[in-house]
Amino acid sequence: MTVHNIRVGESKRGDASDGTLAESVGGRLSRVDGPAKITGAARYAVEQQLEGLAHAVLVESTIASGKVRAIDAATAEASPGVLRVLTPDTIISLRTASDWFGTPPPDKPYCPLARDITFCGQHVAAVVAETFEQAVAAAALVKVSYDETPSIVDLDDGKAGDGIPIDAMTKEWGDAPAAFAAAPVRICAAYNTPREYQAPMEPHGLIARWEGEHLTVWEPSQWLDGMARTYAEWFAVPFGNVRLVSPYIGGGFGSKALALSHGAVAARAAKMLGRPVKLVMTRPQTFTGYGGRAATRQTVTIGTDREGVIQSIVHRGVNETSVDGMWVEPLGSVTSIMYATPNFSSKQNVVRVNSVVPGAMRAPGENPSAFGIESAIDELAYEIGIDPLEIRLKNYAEQDPHTRKAWSTRQLREAFAAGAERFGWARRSPKPRSMRDGNQLIGWGVAAGTYPVRRAYGEAVVRILADGSVEVESSSIDMGQGTYTILAQTAAETVGVRADDVVVKLGDSRFARAGVAGGSRLAGVMTGAVSKAATSALDQLVGLAISDPRSPFHALQANTLVVANGRIGSPRGDGPDVSIAELLKSVGRDRIEATGDTMPANSTAEDRYKNYTTIAMALPHTEGDYSRYSWCAHFIEVRVDEDFGTVRVSRVVSALDSGRLYNPKLAESQWKGGIIMGIGQALLEEGIMDRRHGRIVNNNLADYLVPTNADIPDIEVISVGIPDPHSSALGGKGVGELGIVGVAPAIANAVFHATGKRVRDLPITLEKLI
Amino acid sequence: MTKIPVHLDINGQHHELQLEPRVTLLDALRERLGLTGTKKGCDHGQCGACTVHMDGERVLACLTLAAQAEGRAITTIEGLAREGELHPVQAAFLDQDAFQCGYCTPGQIMSAVACIREGHAGSDEEIREYMAGNLCRCGAYPHIVAAVRQAAQEFAS
Repeated sequence: MTVHNIRVGESKRGDASDGTLAESVGGRLSRVDGPAKITGAARYAVEQQLEGLAHAVLVESTIASGKVRAIDAATAEASPGVLRVLTPDTIISLRTASDWFGTPPPDKPYCPLARDITFCGQHVAAVVAETFEQAVAAAALVKVSYDETPSIVDLDDGKAGDGIPIDAMTKEWGDAPAAFAAAPVRICAAYNTPREYQAPMEPHGLIARWEGEHLTVWEPSQWLDGMARTYAEWFAVPFGNVRLVSPYIGGGFGSKALALSHGAVAARAAKMLGRPVKLVMTRPQTFTGYGGRAATRQTVTIGTDREGVIQSIVHRGVNETSVDGMWVEPLGSVTSIMYATPNFSSKQNVVRVNSVVPGAMRAPGENPSAFGIESAIDELAYEIGIDPLEIRLKNYAEQDPHTRKAWSTRQLREAFAAGAERFGWARRSPKPRSMRDGNQLIGWGVAAGTYPVRRAYGEAVVRILADGSVEVESSSIDMGQGTYTILAQTAAETVGVRADDVVVKLGDSRFARAGVAGGSRLAGVMTGAVSKAATSALDQLVGLAISDPRSPFHALQANTLVVANGRIGSPRGDGPDVSIAELLKSVGRDRIEATGDTMPANSTAEDRYKNYTTIAMALPHTEGDYSRYSWCAHFIEVRVDEDFGTVRVSRVVSALDSGRLYNPKLAESQWKGGIIMGIGQALLEEGIMDRRHGRIVNNNLADYLVPTNADIPDIEVISVGIPDPHSSALGGKGVGELGIVGVAPAIANAVFHATGKRVRDLPITLEKLI
Repeated sequence: MTKIPVHLDINGQHHELQLEPRVTLLDALRERLGLTGTKKGCDHGQCGACTVHMDGERVLACLTLAAQAEGRAITTIEGLAREGELHPVQAAFLDQDAFQCGYCTPGQIMSAVACIREGHAGSDEEIREYMAGNLCRCGAYPHIVAAVRQAAQEFAS
């Protein structure tokens, strides 16, 4: 059976310049969840209005290492409105849950309030009261005393040591040290990135409500089924007893994928009190309640011949992790694939410090990795005396240098060309400090970025309803990437209805299961699943129309029918032409329902559970014959005040290869968002530690500087992608994380071009330039 | 803490509440009145997500006690659209894709309406400066500038 493109009237929302209908896949349809968000009607997770809601506020450790000696909660308990003060002694423990790989946990209790303190800001108590104000006031009255022990503040702490080698991160081919020693041109430099924070505008929090042994959690979540699994294991109830609800998410950037200890506290408090409990972190608590990006250190050494052709790359990396948790930020990820080299060596250690365990933040690994290699290659260009763009093309990797597999698609050369053309790169004066405007030194920098195409199996339910509308259900989520919109486009195009007639329901773990919205994989996974489910629903619809004796098409003896714009007809245009609603009525059906999933055919129920609640079944991006990545090139202009050393980004042109774009309007927004976060990383963002107490001193949005509107110029993005059939069902690659990768080195390279000073330690603040 | 009567005029509707004097306008809106369109991002006046209008001027609801709002006309994002018609700033935000996650958006829109009314939307530079008090971590800034420009031009014509 065939499906023809939908034919809709001129869309109010505008069409793409290439003629793609706004409502089709690839069209520039405006966000379908937009009207709810711009009118205040969109109700985020913790905004549910529940009867009998109690409010919890956390109390956190004020030392970085030691033991809680005692907690005096008497005054707090006597405070007006207080229902309960929970401490490590009074909270009922939970069971330890498995990790995100699904590794069976040790059979031991889990207490989400700490007695043993391993970082400053650890949850040690919680106050539950009738009102938020009462809980806040009483939390300030909880007195905690400690036996303090020495702590390791960060990577620069003299006690930190060299850390633990992570053998799984080692990548080597050829003889890199020997080739480096023999190379006529050699550079070696160290590159540092500080602790950075996701800082989504919506703070983490939740409402937990028990009804018997059934738990409902309204919580912003990048992964409902993964979090539901954790809650189920913590409370030793069946997975099906836990319902996660997360209709809208106020930003995540990697930080909202896992159930965290504050969630355990709130859910336990709700159980103990027999009332729904709401707990929202304060903004300062969001800096220690979960991990930001780990601070990193890298050394990059490159040896080339006299023309700048790379002979050897030796890379060593270190990232911080916590005292009792493990986080590896893969620092060699871009180093090992960006340029062709016959000899390569990358190794990595992690160092334990008294911090919350670091976590995923937009392009974990690729982001700091690119800062190292893309700064180093720029240094090499000056060393050899050739253009920074030329050295990149000279060492262009025609295949994956690590796996030696063909790229599925790599439009990086096209990205360099399109970006350079639009930016006017050819007019660049090569010498540092050679371009200026009054007392402003002008610098132009370039850097490349990449992010692997992470893939997984997906599932969706598509229904065609009696009124001819189409409903899509999935427990996947939309935190601003546009999931609601692109799935409406996918279903509309596949079934043959208008996007206006599609309702997409997401963010409820009762819907068809979904894996994590992380690693830029969700769009590719879910468009594939919805397309499959919608095709199956369409097949059923057309099958009914052809075969049901009550159908007006029954006498037509047709092999197939065409559904377009919500109407069914024959391909030749003869015979009846009826609406979907009329057809369903004629055959006595009130709906058609299809579940589509992209799991292998012989998958068991256990496989499915594992696929959606862990990351153990994710498909490697180098599986089979191809190596799959998204690519980009950033061209950035900075203006540096010669007297004050202040750096302003004044122009950005980025060309990006994310394969086919399901909705360019929304993809461009995500790319720009990544670039803007990259500008923050390059110039502003840094967690500053108090060395006496191991505290983050700038744990708020006035002191941890994220870009404001006044920091950001207009940004031009150019899509150079082509459909990549090896990366996803509909040809897209990753969008969300790609944009940030390479921005910080492009800015550092521009700053060098402007000032002649190479800053290898982010962020590039004025004291490093004067 | 003793509760006091507080009379609030929100989006043209009168509300009588019994509140502790320490309750902020933001928590009164979100926790007592079910008006959750106004967002809490930092509770310290640092992010702008809670921007509402008080007698037509933009204020941060997290730094305003509910009691201070008595006798003043409060407008929140829920009160911006009239009879189902989007306010031109709302329509421009949708057109320009001036948001992603949507959490800062009500505050951005309330700020933008005031920014135009204040006469501070004359150029992109001016818009950037006068919209700089509203953080957007998704990084929709260039599109926010475009939306404010579009709406300002609509008002001017």
